[in-house]
Amino acid sequence: MEQIVKILEKIKPGVDYVSETDLIGDKILDSLKIVQLVGELDDEFDIEITPIDIIPENFKSVQSIYSMVKRLEEE
Amino acid sequence: MSYTSYYYFIFLGAAFGLYTAIPKKYKWIVLLSASVVFYLINSRWLIIFLLLATVSVYFTGIFLNKINAGFALAKKGLEKEDRKKLKKNITWQKKAVVALSLIFIFGILLVLKYSGFFVSSVEFFARIFGFNPHFKTFNFLLPLGISYYTLQAAGYIIDVYRGKYRATDNFFKLALFLSFFPQIVEGPIGRYDLLADPLYEGHKFDYIRVTKGLQLIFWGLFKKIVIADRINIFVNEVFGNYQKYSGSIILLGSILYTLQIYADFSGCMDIVTGSAQLFGVPLSENFRRPFFSKSVAEFWRRWHITLGSWLRDYIFYPISLSKPFMKISKFAKAHTSNEYFSSLIPASFAMFFTWFGIGFWHGSGLKYIVYGLYYYVIMIIGMYMEPLFVRFFKAVRIDRNSKPVNALKIIRTLIFVVCGMTLFRADSIKVWFNMIKKVFVGFHGGTFLKDALSCGMDKQDFIIIIIGAAIMLIISVLQEKGLNIRDSLAKRALPVRWAVYACLILSIIIFGAYGVGYETVDFIYGQF
Repeated sequence: MEQIVKILEKIKPGVDYVSETDLIGDKILDSLKIVQLVGELDDEFDIEITPIDIIPENFKSVQSIYSMVKRLEEE
Repeated sequence: MSYTSYYYFIFLGAAFGLYTAIPKKYKWIVLLSASVVFYLINSRWLIIFLLLATVSVYFTGIFLNKINAGFALAKKGLEKEDRKKLKKNITWQKKAVVALSLIFIFGILLVLKYSGFFVSSVEFFARIFGFNPHFKTFNFLLPLGISYYTLQAAGYIIDVYRGKYRATDNFFKLALFLSFFPQIVEGPIGRYDLLADPLYEGHKFDYIRVTKGLQLIFWGLFKKIVIADRINIFVNEVFGNYQKYSGSIILLGSILYTLQIYADFSGCMDIVTGSAQLFGVPLSENFRRPFFSKSVAEFWRRWHITLGSWLRDYIFYPISLSKPFMKISKFAKAHTSNEYFSSLIPASFAMFFTWFGIGFWHGSGLKYIVYGLYYYVIMIIGMYMEPLFVRFFKAVRIDRNSKPVNALKIIRTLIFVVCGMTLFRADSIKVWFNMIKKVFVGFHGGTFLKDALSCGMDKQDFIIIIIGAAIMLIISVLQEKGLNIRDSLAKRALPVRWAVYACLILSIIIFGAYGVGYETVDFIYGQF
C-alpha cells in the first residue's frame, strides 16, 4: 500500500492519500492522472490494468486501488 | 414534433396517461410503443436504420452470451495452460463479432452523415496532385438521433464484450433502450446498466416525482423559448452579415451565441429529463454549470457530459491504456530524463483521437474537426506547461487555488469557450478568423448601441435576456453550492411554490420568442 501512496504522491503531490476516501468524487484523480497512475501501477506490480478496470470503485481510495492490484496480480 | 411544440406535450400527456393506466408489468411496452410512434412521426421510413442498428447489436449480444456460456462450461476440468488457450481463442471470436457489428453501425452513420465530406475531401486532395475529379454525391436524409443512438448501441455492445453485464435476451427491451423518445433527438447518451432497470420495471404514479418532472420541463421551456430563441435573431443577423458590423458587435454576438447554445441545449436536456422523470426514468446529467469551469478540460467535464464520458470510456482509455502506447511511454521514460513528459505520451495520443472525435461527431466539415482540435491544442499546451505553472506560482508565492486566481481562471476559460463557440457557429474557419480579427482590429464602430438595437432585438429583448440570464446565474450559483432547487422549493409554503410556478409559466407565455417576426427555432443539437 505504501508503494501505491508513493506513486500517487508523485503524480499529484499535496494530498493526504491515506485518509482520502473518494479520489474520483473529490476530483483529485481525473482521466489524465488515471492514465499516469495505471502506467506506474502496471510497471510497479507487473500487472495489466485494462479499460474494464477503470471504474470509480477501483480508484476511490488507496485501499480500493490496492484491492484491484492484488486481484490482478492473482489473475 | 419538436420538444417545444404543442404536439409534443399532447403526445407526452397521452403517453403518460396510458403509462399510468396500464399495469406495472406492461408499462415498458407503453414506453416502447410511444417511442416507435414518436420516431415514425418525426422520421418515418428512416426508422429502418434504427431497426438495423438494434438488430445488429441484439444478435451480437446474444452471440457473445453464447460464447461466454460455452467457455464457462468448457473451461471446467481444463488445465491452466489449456484454459488460457481456449480463452485466447474465444477472445478472438468475440473481438471479431463485435468489430463487425461496430463497423456495421458506424458504417451506416458514416455513409449517411459523412459521405459528402469524404467525397469533397478526396476531391480536395486529388486537386493538390493535379487531378480534378467530380464524384456524384447523394444528400442523404439523416435518421432522427443517429449520432446519439449509434453511440448508445456501440457502448452497449462494448460493455457486453468487456463482461460488464450480460446482453439482454429481449429484443424489444433493447429496442426501448435505443429508441426511448425523450432522449432520441439530442441525448443524453445513455448507458444500458443505468437505464435498463428504470426503463423496464414500471413505476406507479407518484405526485412528487411527476411535479418535479413538470417543474424541470417548464424550466427548460423558459431557457429555450424565452432566452435561446430570442437571441437567435440577433445571432443570425450578426453571424450572417459580420462584415457590416464592428468588432464590438461581433463580440456581443459571440457572447450571446454562447448563451444561446447553452440555454438551447441545456433547456432541451431539462425538458427531456423532466419528461423521462414523469415515467420514473432518470436520464444522465448532461450539464453541470459549465461556465464555472476553471479550465477547458473542466469545461468539457461539465458540458455535454455524456458525450465526453462516452469518448473517455470507449476511445480515450482504450487507446491510452493499450499495450503499444504503454510500451511507448515506458520507452520514453527509460530514454529521457523527464518522467512527467514521458508519462503524458499515451494520453496525448489518446486525447488527439478523442478531440478529433468530438469535433467530427458534431458535423461533417473541416470546421468541426478544427473545433475539436482547437480544444485539444489548448489542453495539450496546458498539460505540458503544468510544471512551469507550478514553479511560477511557487516563485510568486500565490496560492493557485485562491479565490482571485480561480476567478481569473474562470474568465480565461470563458474567453476560450466564447472563441470556440464563435468557430462552431461561423460559416467557415475563414469567417471565424475574420470575425476574431475584427474583434481586435476594428473593435469600435462608433455606433455600438444603434447597431446592437438594429439586429433583431430591441431594448425590451435585451432586458428580458439580462433578467433571464441573471435568473439562470443565481440558480446555478445556488446549485454549485449544493442546493437542490426543486427539493428546496418543495419545502416552501404552498403560496410561494405556486407563485414561482405561475411566474415561470407566465413568463414562457408572455415573453416567449414566438409570434410575428420569430420563426420556430429548431434545437441546435438536434441536427447532429
